[in-house]
Amino acid sequence: MRRIITKWIPIAISTGTGLVALAGYLFPQTVFSAFRDRMVEWAVIIAAFALILGLFNLVRVHGQRILGSGEEWGYSLVLLLSASLSWIPALVQGPSGPATKLMLDYVITPLGASLAALLVFTLTLSGVRMLRYRSMLSSVLFIVVFVVSLLGTTPLPGTEWLSKLRHWLIHVPGRAGFRGLFLGVALGTMVTGLRILLGADRPHSES
Amino acid sequence: MNDFPDPTAWALLLLVVSAIALIAITVLDRRRKTEIHLREIRAFTDLRDQLKQAAESGRPLHIALGGGGLGTPDTVSSLAALQVLEGLIDAAVSYDVAPFVTVGDPTLLPLAQDVVRRGYERNDVPDFYDPCLVRFVAPSALAYSAGAVPVGVPEDVSANVVVGVFGAEASLIADISDRHGTPKAAAVDRAQAIGALYPATDRLAVGEELYAAGAQVTGKKGLATSLMVEDVLRYVLALFILMAAAIVLITG
Repeated sequence: MRRIITKWIPIAISTGTGLVALAGYLFPQTVFSAFRDRMVEWAVIIAAFALILGLFNLVRVHGQRILGSGEEWGYSLVLLLSASLSWIPALVQGPSGPATKLMLDYVITPLGASLAALLVFTLTLSGVRMLRYRSMLSSVLFIVVFVVSLLGTTPLPGTEWLSKLRHWLIHVPGRAGFRGLFLGVALGTMVTGLRILLGADRPHSES
Repeated sequence: MNDFPDPTAWALLLLVVSAIALIAITVLDRRRKTEIHLREIRAFTDLRDQLKQAAESGRPLHIALGGGGLGTPDTVSSLAALQVLEGLIDAAVSYDVAPFVTVGDPTLLPLAQDVVRRGYERNDVPDFYDPCLVRFVAPSALAYSAGAVPVGVPEDVSANVVVGVFGAEASLIADISDRHGTPKAAAVDRAQAIGALYPATDRLAVGEELYAAGAQVTGKKGLATSLMVEDVLRYVLALFILMAAAIVLITG
């Protein structure tokens, strides 16, 4: 009985819902697409519950770290305090209240933008570190493409040829490479999805 | 109600039917006990060595599963990442090296916890399982990548394994690893993440190699046969593309 509950029922549910959802995409304007839409609505509700689970996990992990004075417990304290404080304006004024909006506009958005800006430096540093361990040819090729792509976007006089070279690099070898890559990703996605649909992979149930 | 599916849907249907047929064929072929040889991917072969080093040093492994979740277009990539986790967890538990797993999407949290729990159960040490081994960091991709190491797993880890759905922000994790002198391995399928991680590590599995990770890490024959199916489909598609190009060239 336990085996039926932990193995076969989850497989039946996942295979059934997966096939109906797939049929909904393959045959639009049929009863399958209506079922698919309804199941997507349920998925959104479940995702909202998962967020609450995530919050509990956050509180448990960081609470334990603070109580046990674990490594970097200061970060955990700041995280839990800011998470707790950010609830108050949303509870009092609603999720689109002025205080929540201020918090989004002046704290979260600028912090996100700063992190995004940091990427330029981390990527450049990675490029420099790469010279240590990659073969000379691939490193040089990478850096040449990087420099051409970067300079090709600048409106400096006399660099029109760089702009053309950049355009060719991106649209001919770059696009050809990525199309091959995406083709492989699409096949990998399809076969992995099929294995779950057929019950060969069971991430949701006991083996 | 009687609309026929568009050509894209027909193409998809054709691929799905051929994949089902091919899986059936390879399953039948498996019964003949033929050996499947996989091309070694350095990112995954080195993972075994890193696990051994982790066991010797007593330092845990950090597996970052990225910001992908369930119910999104990234679902299958996240499930492929979970296969890697499943493969690593058995070795990690048998070596007595607690793995730390971070997720950036709460829908992946219960699944990852389940995979880790089952790993402990398979190795007959269910009491050693701690749900806090799997940690939700942040729902935003940038915040996740910036916080996965210093906030999510501040412990002294032996290696960072980046596998799953990442964008260019994966370079933040790579940078932190470099600054701590921690080895790293990665398997990603997004173009932005590939571009960001290519200069950061030579243990990088790109694109479809993420989907080969399960076969490489777990050694399961069923997953290896899926790779055979992918290869056959790839040859068929390449043939179609070449034929289409030839027809266009000939007919103008």
